[in-house]
Amino acid sequence: MMLFFRSLSSEWLKTKRSAASWLCIIGGFFIPFIVFLGFLYRKTSINATPKFIWEKHYNELWQNMAVFLLPMGVILATSLITQIEFKNNTWKQVHATPQSLTTVFFAKFSVILLMTLKFFIFFNIGILLSGIIPCLIFDGSMPKESIPVFAFLKGNAKFFIVCLPILAIQYLISLQFKNFLVPVGIGLMGLIGSLIGMSWSKIFISPYVYPILMVFKLNKDYNLFVYAFVYFLIIMTAAYFLYISKKEKG
Amino acid sequence: MYSIETKNLSYSFSEKETVLDNINIQVPEGSIYGFLGPNGAGKTTTLKLVLGLLKKQKGEIDFFNQPFAPNRIQVLARVGSLIESPSIYAQLTARENLQVWQRIYNCPKARIDEVLNIVDLAYTKKKKAGKFSLGMKQRLSIAFALLHEPDILILDEPTNGLDPSGILEIRELLIRINREKNTTIVISSHLLAEIEKLVTHVGIINKGKIIFQGTLNELHVMQAENSTVQYETDNNDRARDIFTECKLNSVMREGKIILPKMERSEIARLTKLLVEDGIDVYEVASVKNDLESIFIDLTKN
Repeated sequence: MMLFFRSLSSEWLKTKRSAASWLCIIGGFFIPFIVFLGFLYRKTSINATPKFIWEKHYNELWQNMAVFLLPMGVILATSLITQIEFKNNTWKQVHATPQSLTTVFFAKFSVILLMTLKFFIFFNIGILLSGIIPCLIFDGSMPKESIPVFAFLKGNAKFFIVCLPILAIQYLISLQFKNFLVPVGIGLMGLIGSLIGMSWSKIFISPYVYPILMVFKLNKDYNLFVYAFVYFLIIMTAAYFLYISKKEKG
Repeated sequence: MYSIETKNLSYSFSEKETVLDNINIQVPEGSIYGFLGPNGAGKTTTLKLVLGLLKKQKGEIDFFNQPFAPNRIQVLARVGSLIESPSIYAQLTARENLQVWQRIYNCPKARIDEVLNIVDLAYTKKKKAGKFSLGMKQRLSIAFALLHEPDILILDEPTNGLDPSGILEIRELLIRINREKNTTIVISSHLLAEIEKLVTHVGIINKGKIIFQGTLNELHVMQAENSTVQYETDNNDRARDIFTECKLNSVMREGKIILPKMERSEIARLTKLLVEDGIDVYEVASVKNDLESIFIDLTKN
């Protein structure tokens, strides 16, 4: 177990100043910043909403995020983190270290999960700041309602779960292809193709639309989280076996 | 005891293309083993197989008289490696790069400064490794291999991209590590001259087959056996006829007659024959082939 944490810590260090790390910060704050600019332009704040000011603000931001930026960010970040090894020609060095392939596989995936978590944290900080700062500027006070922390955490956890199958698919593809464009291209095709087919009754077979189905509550007939978990487990199992059975490891 | 031993190691990328054919390598403990061969001979493939970077197809690989596969993690903890081009995280500094591996090997943090000083990169401080010259990257890769004070160092063409003084420094460094810590070193190269002052043992590979393996002394014996006698006369054609009559094969090279190595008395007898035939002999020389020529001859044949 100690070896896993050492490996995880090593993998985390590799993301320092990486493109994935920058994407996390920029992607996390992008939509809140746009909404914040909207408040500044209209000289208003969330206090202008009669009731449930935070819920409305939170839903508005998540709707914008879930449609394109979240799946796109997940596709890019996963591919970029795996690409660190291909781009720097370091897979051979990683595989010549005293750690099992299982440790390497899960340590790297854990870093992707942590990076996604970091992205969520930045986005949530963005939600809070884009709500609070306009209130301070235009109303001279804090928002009139308290922040529904538990509801926010629950909502974030749900989004995190529905992202898992996308993370797994992108991880599987990214581990197999040296060319960065392959996982990104497949991910984009999956996302755009699924968006085009949104009206199809069986669109739930595509994990790329799960954040959209969740944010617009379009999954009334089925439990999206069960689908997400099952997809995640199947794809991760496939990714693991494909990874450990690779003929050339560097 | 052998630090590394391969038995009948074979590898092919496809049915038609055999890259390695029954490779038997024995690297004695505490030796500096020069693994030589021209580009594309199979050096990197062999080293990748030895490190488990390629899936083994046929043969056996032992480290410290133990099979590699079931002891992979324990073995790799005792091995430092540099395979092909440098493996460096471009966005990190030299120190951060070393931290990446220090965390995995769980060696003392103080080793980072030690190896940075050894490879003379301590001055780079906040400079990103991606902005290093090729020689600096190569030195940093050597620092990775040295970080955990391994019992075996496997270095695939480590002097690529280094200037002559850099090559000399690395050579001295490897000799020092070998002497002070008894570290077994396997170093591959396509240039014999580059490593002949460094190695104790030599393995020469060509077209996927080992064509020579032994100590450097054994290679020197081979060098002596491959010596030649050279004649330069005013009538080389007639001189060659006389040599043929004496049942000696000769070849012409750069205006000189080249004969196989022979006893000193035989050289005197042949010279006398030429003079008696009225041929002016300008030069008679007993020439030792240099190791590079032997290497080229071996790999050409």
